[in-house]
Amino acid sequence: MNCLQAEEHFSAHFEDTLDYQTLHGFEVHLAACEACQQEYAKFQESVKVVQQLPQIEPSPYFMPTLLQRIAEEQREIGGVKGIATAGWQRLLDVFRRPVWAFSGVLALILAVTGTYLYQDGFLFDRDTGSAAITSESQEVRVVAPPVRARRVLGNNGQRLPDGGTSTPVQPMQQHYVLKQVSYTNASTRGGL
Amino acid sequence: MLDLDDELMQRYQKGDEGAFTLLVRRHQQPLINFIARFINDRDNAEDLAQETFIRMFKAAHRYEPGRAHFKTWMYHIAKNLCKNEIRNRERRDKYRVDNVVNSGSDNNGDTEEIDLIANAPANPTFQPEVELERKELRNAIQKAIAELPEQYRLPLVLRDLQGLSYDEISEVLELRSGTTKSRINRARLMLKDKLKPFI
Repeated sequence: MNCLQAEEHFSAHFEDTLDYQTLHGFEVHLAACEACQQEYAKFQESVKVVQQLPQIEPSPYFMPTLLQRIAEEQREIGGVKGIATAGWQRLLDVFRRPVWAFSGVLALILAVTGTYLYQDGFLFDRDTGSAAITSESQEVRVVAPPVRARRVLGNNGQRLPDGGTSTPVQPMQQHYVLKQVSYTNASTRGGL
Repeated sequence: MLDLDDELMQRYQKGDEGAFTLLVRRHQQPLINFIARFINDRDNAEDLAQETFIRMFKAAHRYEPGRAHFKTWMYHIAKNLCKNEIRNRERRDKYRVDNVVNSGSDNNGDTEEIDLIANAPANPTFQPEVELERKELRNAIQKAIAELPEQYRLPLVLRDLQGLSYDEISEVLELRSGTTKSRINRARLMLKDKLKPFI
C-alpha cells in the first residue's frame, strides 16, 4: 500500500469499517510512513472538530410561524376539497332522479315477483307455515302417486266404497292431492 | 416494524393532526442545521426548513410508511430546495450577505460570551482567549465547509453534522454506496487541508 492508497482508507479506518486484509496493509504502511501518520492524525482531528460543531437552535418564531402556515394550507386544502365536493354533488344531482326511478322500478319488480312466488307456494308453504323447498315435499312433488292410490282416491281424496276406478285425476287436482299428503305427513311428524 | 416517524405519519394520515406537529418538533433542529450548513445562511435556513415541512405536509397522504424513510424523504426535499436556492442566488447574482451560519453561531456564541463575561467574577475557570480561539475555529470550520464543492459538501454535512448512515445518505443523494463513501472521504481530506492552520 502506498500513501495515496492509504489516504483512500482514512475514513474507513477512522470509522473502523476496514476488512482485515486492508486494515493490515493500512497499519503496516502507517507504521512505516511518518508523513501518513501526521496526515492521518490531522485528518482525525479535523473530523472530530467538525462533528463537534454546536447545533443551531431554531428561533422561537419558527414553530408558531410554521403551525400558522400549516393551518392556512389546511384551510386552502379544505376549501379546494369543499369546491370539489360541491361539484360532485351537483354532478350527482343530475343522476339522482334516474337512480331513484330505477330503484322504484326494481322494488316494484321484486314485490310482484315475491307475491307471485308466495302465492304459487314456491318459496313459502302456506299450509305448513314452513319453507316449501324441503327434501320431503320435493320428493312428493316429483314422485307420481302409486297406481293403486290413483285408483282408490276420488277428486276429493276420499276412498270409494267399491274400490273401483274413479274419474281420471286432472293435473291441478293431482297437485292438490299431493299437497294433502304432504300436509298429513307434516302433521303426523308434529306429534299427532 | 415501523419506526416512530413512520408511526407518527400513519397516525397523521388517519386524522391525528397533532402527530405531524410532533414530527416537526422532532426534526426541526436537525433540518435547520442541515440547511444552514449547506447554504451557509441561517436566516434563509429557517424559511427553507418551513418550506420543506409545508411540502411534506401537502404530500403526507402519498407517503407510504415502511417503504421510504421519513428522515431521508425530508432531507431529499430539503436538498432540492437548497439547490434551487443556491441556483437562484447565483442567477440573480445577488450579493450574499455574510449573515452566514457563523453569525447564527456568533449570535449563540455572543450570547454565551456575554453570559460568561457577566459571570466571570463567579467563574474562575473563564478564559476569554480560549473562548476566542473556539469561536475562530468554528468560523474557520464553517468557512471551510462552505468552500467545499457542492457534491462533497452535501454528503459531508449529512454524515458529520447530521449523523446519517451511509445508506441513508446514498438514499437522499441517490448515489451508490461506494460513491457516497468516496465523496465523504474526499470531503474530509479537503477539510483537513483547509483546517491545517487551526489544528
